[in-house]
Amino acid sequence: MIKVSNVTKKYPARLAVNDISFEVARGEIVGFLGPNGAGKTTTMRMLTGYLEANAGEIEVAGFNLYTHSEEVRRRIGYLPESCPLYPEMRVDEYLWFRAELKGVSLATRRAKVNDVKERCGLTDVGKRIIGQLSKGYRQRVGLADALVHDPELLILDEPTVGLDPYQIRQVRELIRQLAEQHTILLSTHILPEVEAVCERILIITDGKIVASDTSENLHRMLHSTVLLEMEIQAEKEEALAALKTIQGIHIRECNTLVGGWLWIEMDAESPTLRVELFNLAVAKGWSLRALTEKEYSLEDTFVEITQRAKEQSL
Amino acid sequence: MKIFWCLLKKELRTCFLSPIAFVVMFFFWVLMGGNFVWLLYQLANGAPILTATQLLFGGPFISFSLPIVIPLITMRLFAEERKMGTLEALLTTPLKIPALVLSKFFGALFFYLVLWLPIFVFAFILAKFSPSAEIVFPDWGALFAGSLGVILVGSLYVSIGLLMSSLTANQIVAAIAGFAVLFCTFLAGVFLAYTTANPVGRMLGHYFSSYTHMYDLARGIVNTHVIIFYLSCTAWVLFAAIRVIESKRL
Repeated sequence: MIKVSNVTKKYPARLAVNDISFEVARGEIVGFLGPNGAGKTTTMRMLTGYLEANAGEIEVAGFNLYTHSEEVRRRIGYLPESCPLYPEMRVDEYLWFRAELKGVSLATRRAKVNDVKERCGLTDVGKRIIGQLSKGYRQRVGLADALVHDPELLILDEPTVGLDPYQIRQVRELIRQLAEQHTILLSTHILPEVEAVCERILIITDGKIVASDTSENLHRMLHSTVLLEMEIQAEKEEALAALKTIQGIHIRECNTLVGGWLWIEMDAESPTLRVELFNLAVAKGWSLRALTEKEYSLEDTFVEITQRAKEQSL
Repeated sequence: MKIFWCLLKKELRTCFLSPIAFVVMFFFWVLMGGNFVWLLYQLANGAPILTATQLLFGGPFISFSLPIVIPLITMRLFAEERKMGTLEALLTTPLKIPALVLSKFFGALFFYLVLWLPIFVFAFILAKFSPSAEIVFPDWGALFAGSLGVILVGSLYVSIGLLMSSLTANQIVAAIAGFAVLFCTFLAGVFLAYTTANPVGRMLGHYFSSYTHMYDLARGIVNTHVIIFYLSCTAWVLFAAIRVIESKRL
């Protein structure tokens, strides 16, 4: 659906995107992750034809972006980062205008506009002026606008910014529904969101794609270890010193909890090391109330990958 | 073409919904009223009725206010879209940039022409209350030529204002750049045409000054070179604006 090969974008002062290549297959939901200023928005803007790349080729839905820009734009539904809307227009007017602009025929326009309003939960606010809507509703208007011409590819730049948790859940649900018929590329800062929705993750740092895989594979690729969590009642220094004697355990973090409890998180080379941890606790006479294997969070993976990329580039 | 109409409808709606449009309209109509009163004084003091259309279209009140009024209409065209980010939303739809620029141009031009509507009321008053049967008002030819002048001069001014708006994301900057360019060319034309001793300078002034053109047209003198001058300059400036919008994508 999307094929980006060796694309570079220079701004006057800096290199925003540096020779990136990736592909998105039809029907995939791909999460686009990266720290602020990594080049996410620039890449998305290039895909939608708003910015022109300095070098490289972009192909969307089988059309080359440079030679068939209009065909490409016809097939993309784009929600820009800041969700720009005309504040003086009413919701209905705006969606009607956008549908007309995107070439939705008069015969189907009313049905399409009503359909996206319903899907985005806008049915009750059709007559309201956009400038007076809350951020959450505006975001939904933007999303409805991206959907109104039934595009093959949806490009959503931070679709859940400014929404409350309930709305975030709704948008996620909506994105999942959309995934049945559309290909979706979405960027976000909120990592659990990517894990909840996306099948594949692209991580971009300093204008370079540093990883592209499912989130489980990314974890596996990075960590040969497992993450263990333990809660014991013990003296902090003593406990840490004792834990260090066990082979294959690396302590990540240790916090003191109420009632003299310690919460310890560690990387272990094997999950079976839990047995030795238990034996140690028994031997030392510590009370033990939790000892579990945990999943690495995407946050850990993300930080690690971007950091590693930085170190390599230095 | 369909997309052009869609954009034009939107442009007109935005134009007539913006408060600044009505402020501009109010002041321009006050000036027009002043101009008409001044015209009546002139006639009462024995100026020939033939000069009436000239004063109606080319009176100094109006001529000098256009370089201010037009940038106020055009300043928001692209600057506002750029500031709010809606330009991104527009340019990622399957539209062609010339259609976008032309829709904004015609939208602003239409509003500018609406500003001129009271002229017909004044012309009707003059016709109704002409003092005697020998005096013929209106002179339809002059009225028509004057209207043509309004459209021609307006097109060029609106296109220049639009170009300034396409260059910046700040409406104030767009407006001031518009004043600067329009006033400089307007005054340069007037001074060259009427205050220099050098005959070549005078000729050039008459050739380029919109004040002179308007004066001539309002007397019913239609020169093809004037028409071509305005149409080609407008086309050229609009072309420049299209290139500016395209270049922002690089």
